[in-house]
Amino acid sequence: MATVEERVKAITARVLKLNPDEIKPEHSFTADLGAESVQSIELVAMFEEEFGIEMDEDAALSVETVGKAVEFITEVCGEQGVEAEQ
Amino acid sequence: MDEVRKQHRLVNAKEPNLVQDIYPYSLPPLIRFEGPVVEYIDGKAVEFDFGAVKDRDILISDTTFRDGQQARPPYTIDQMVHIYDLMSRLGGPNGVLRQTEFFLYTKNDRETLERCRALGHKYPECTGWIRALKGDFRLVKEAGLKETGVLTSCSDYHIFQKLRFRSRAECMDSYCQVVEAAFDAGVRPRCHLEDLTRADINGFVLPFIDRLMEMSSQVPEELSVKIRLCDTMGFGISYPGAELPRSIPKLIYKLNRECGVPSDRLEWHGHNDFHKVHANAATAWLYGCDVVNATLFGFGERTGNPPLEGAVFEYIALKRDLCGIDTMAIAELADYMRSIGLPIPENYPFVGRSFNTTRAGIHADGLRRDEQIYNIFDTEKLLGRPPRVAITDKSGADGVAHWLNEFFGLKGDNRINKIKVHKLARWVIDQYDKEGRLTAISDQELEAKVRELLPEYWEKYKSSQK
Repeated sequence: MATVEERVKAITARVLKLNPDEIKPEHSFTADLGAESVQSIELVAMFEEEFGIEMDEDAALSVETVGKAVEFITEVCGEQGVEAEQ
Repeated sequence: MDEVRKQHRLVNAKEPNLVQDIYPYSLPPLIRFEGPVVEYIDGKAVEFDFGAVKDRDILISDTTFRDGQQARPPYTIDQMVHIYDLMSRLGGPNGVLRQTEFFLYTKNDRETLERCRALGHKYPECTGWIRALKGDFRLVKEAGLKETGVLTSCSDYHIFQKLRFRSRAECMDSYCQVVEAAFDAGVRPRCHLEDLTRADINGFVLPFIDRLMEMSSQVPEELSVKIRLCDTMGFGISYPGAELPRSIPKLIYKLNRECGVPSDRLEWHGHNDFHKVHANAATAWLYGCDVVNATLFGFGERTGNPPLEGAVFEYIALKRDLCGIDTMAIAELADYMRSIGLPIPENYPFVGRSFNTTRAGIHADGLRRDEQIYNIFDTEKLLGRPPRVAITDKSGADGVAHWLNEFFGLKGDNRINKIKVHKLARWVIDQYDKEGRLTAISDQELEAKVRELLPEYWEKYKSSQK
């Protein structure tokens, strides 16, 4: 099973039309990866779908980097009893 | 100038101060005053107590059927009767909307008046409007009206250039004969000082008013002359320090305090040629003129008159109470006016189709968090119009979410967040980015897309509304 980081990168690559290998944990979704406003919403929606979780809208949208998204999603999975490979 | 600079310390609040003593949301923003206002008149400092307006018997009068109708094709009798009926509801049982005036010259004019009066409303009282001709009082008398407006134009533009009097004295005598005729007919004359803001105030207006006051002292109180201050060309200025004849504060002071015309016999009638019409009317209230003359949606000669609905909200703001006014009638009047072909601009305050519609996504985000952030007052409660967003490329997911929640009528925790509407938001963005669209997206288009892209919500919320 893929790790949370691999799944986050895969979704990010798909939504933002990027090569997953080029996505680094320190990358900012907006400044480095070029996510526009509606793409940020799509990313959060896709993460919810991928992991089967519900995220707080404001908290999820305030996450700035790929690495922080991995941490945030891992935390939410834990809170909501969803198993996710570290 | 005195040194006034000082340091200001931050009040580090943890809870917001929403200034609700001024912005109660359930009412329009309230207007409060502190201390007197000083105006220098003839070199003397004169104080005005604006705060007193809360307890003064200020009123609104209407001229939708007279000045308002001069600016458009005539209304039918049925239309006028319906408008009158709604205006009565608007003004409420206290008669905040106290009077409305009618032409009396044609058979239709007289039938309209008769049918409006047959509705049996106490307010607005029906008054007439006639030329300054003695013979015209027969019309007023026959119509059974107690009061009529009479043209008594007072600038030299009118006295000499239009009416062709040979002198001011001849003009004044002529006007006074008409006033005398009104008294004889048992009709209260309301002298319309046309073109007042271009008149020689000291040389003609004040002597004329003195004479009218003298004549009024000879008749019963209910016949005493009322004065309408007509800013015919919209030249009036509200700023303190402005000179006569344009200064509204000074005009009212001169008539009210120097000539002794009581406030309840003074009425302001403005025009909007310089975008000052509503502020000028409110200024007249504050400086001692009890009545503001207005028309529905500001329709009137050329650029129009003080908008009646604006005067209504100003009234509520000054009184800090609805005072029996039914503001919902404003929305009904607007719908009715549109239905009979009167154009009301989309962005027109209080009643335009988009008056509380935001297009910017960042404003929609504010609305989503708390509608008070971007709504002027509880427009749903007072006008039946909740704040809305129009969907364009600037709306963002916030705008789309707000539109959807309004569409489904969802409140509080039931509201759908913007994450859940991402498919619809994407479709909207693609309309502009990929399809090259240049127009706003209609409600009908969005509705169809909600069905297609968010069927689970459609099923959940739309089915239950059927």
